[in-house]
Amino acid sequence: FSSVATQFDLKGYWTTLIGEINQKLDEAIPVKFPEKIYEAMRYSVLAKGAKRAPPVMCVAACELFGGNRLAAFPTACALEMVHAASLIHNDLPCIDDDPSRRGQPSNHTVYGVDMAILAGDALFPLGFHHIVSHTPSNLVPEPILLRVIAEIARAVGSTGMAAGQVLDLDGGPNSVGFVQEKKFGEMSECSAVCGGLLAGARDDEIQRLRRYGRAVGVLYQVVDDIQEERMMKNGEDGERRKTGKSYARIYGVEKAMEVAEEFRAKAKKELDGFEKYGDSVVPLYSFVDFAADRGFSVGDAI
Amino acid sequence: VCAEGTSKLPFSFKAYMAQKIDAINQALDAAVPLKEPRKIHEAMRYSLLAGGKRICPFLCIAVSELVGGTESMVMPAACALEMIHAMSLIHDDLPCMDNDDIRRGQPTSHKVFGEAVAVLAGDALLALAFQHIATLTVGVPPERIVRGIGELGKFIGAEGVVGGQVVDLSSKGQSDVSLEQLEFIHLRKTAAMVEGTAVLGAVLGGGSDDEIEKLRTFARYTGLLFQVVDDILDVTKSSVELGKTAGKDLLADNITYPKLMGIEKSREFAEKLKKDAQEQLSGFDPQKAAPLFALAHYVAQRSK
Repeated sequence: FSSVATQFDLKGYWTTLIGEINQKLDEAIPVKFPEKIYEAMRYSVLAKGAKRAPPVMCVAACELFGGNRLAAFPTACALEMVHAASLIHNDLPCIDDDPSRRGQPSNHTVYGVDMAILAGDALFPLGFHHIVSHTPSNLVPEPILLRVIAEIARAVGSTGMAAGQVLDLDGGPNSVGFVQEKKFGEMSECSAVCGGLLAGARDDEIQRLRRYGRAVGVLYQVVDDIQEERMMKNGEDGERRKTGKSYARIYGVEKAMEVAEEFRAKAKKELDGFEKYGDSVVPLYSFVDFAADRGFSVGDAI
Repeated sequence: VCAEGTSKLPFSFKAYMAQKIDAINQALDAAVPLKEPRKIHEAMRYSLLAGGKRICPFLCIAVSELVGGTESMVMPAACALEMIHAMSLIHDDLPCMDNDDIRRGQPTSHKVFGEAVAVLAGDALLALAFQHIATLTVGVPPERIVRGIGELGKFIGAEGVVGGQVVDLSSKGQSDVSLEQLEFIHLRKTAAMVEGTAVLGAVLGGGSDDEIEKLRTFARYTGLLFQVVDDILDVTKSSVELGKTAGKDLLADNITYPKLMGIEKSREFAEKLKKDAQEQLSGFDPQKAAPLFALAHYVAQRSK
């Protein structure tokens, strides 16, 4: 099976999807009066070099069950909008105080703190509105849409990403696992689950996607933190997160690498349960290896 | 058919409203249990349960009942509206926005919980609002719930409440604000919320497209009326009577109707808005429309 996986052109798959998603996001946020708010929203949502991991995960999970890509696109875009909203707010001076994101000034650095807060406040509802107004009704029944909306709201809410952020600010040293799962696992979990829901997957399959998505999201972040920690040791300048729990910083790089391997194995074990779907599960396997090994840079792919 | 004033109406508006608000407050209390992590849930509850007029949830229920729906069909949506209202107040009060220390006689959220938690509690209330409607609405066909969520997503965002707030922020301290600009701000900031509320209640309650549009217009006039009356009260009442800092709009260089057209003209404008709002109800059964008819009157007559 691994030979099929290596033959799979993840970079090509990802690049094609990024192109389509970028175009749809561009259309989803036209600039109107008052221009400033739309510009602030577009600045973060359409940032160059965005990996579009949540939308790509959503589309791939939908296609695993033979779902139509067109059914998943509006939700994929919504995931990117709420994700951007969450990042804009996390970067604020009163939270993580990050002046830059992806090598560019963060939203509040460019538009001011007040506009950054409002841009986030506008992107959350736009995401839900976009799902409702753009999902083809002949492809997705309404009860499924309601589950998708609830899933996204849960993921960003007070027991999801917001919980991770609050604990990251003042949680004890033992909270690293919880914080990582909430801050970085939720979006990935939610993306995989939404894709499955839109394709009409069974409940046990949704549960499997849930565990898979969460493992991949945390894995990605643990590897990011390991790379950051190594760069720091080599005296290189990197974008170090000022706040935030990291396995690599708390337990050291060695232990963090073990943790990463555990998450890789966990994610793949979940996918083994989708064997009957044949080759359509290959993209999901390749995300796991990409999160762990970073075989190429997605930003370059654009 | 509909008599002037609440006293001649065939039911007690005050009792009706008090009963609805009681039910709303109970539902709100149950909507946000104190889960882990406690701090964010405490902050959410602090702002959500701090009191307030509950006008939007009340309107949502009254509209639903007018078009043949029930209170229980729209209670999750009514709670969601109050969550969104609380969110926008928390964020508006932040130092980088209006920088308010006191709200409804209590320290604002960021004063109690810190700015970071205030921002995140607002975000969490916004998310919970959508989750609440999507998961807890019962007795309404799913296509209507989906449509309602779409409307909500539109009127609280950049095309509605947030857009109004942006124009409001950018017009502060500006000396040559026009009446059109003022109306734009209020139509987005206050009226959009009221209008969206009525649409949400009408959609979930099962109203026809024609009914939905009439109630949309009713709410737009009533929302604007609310703002005009607010502006008049700010000039004419003392802080003690209002329970908040009177004259704050003038001090903060906010534009208001009395400032632009004078007190008398503002009062006439308010009277006209009330009539225009109530006219929208003429096609409905007068008895069923009585709560909304009385609501417009209540908004016009309120003294604080």
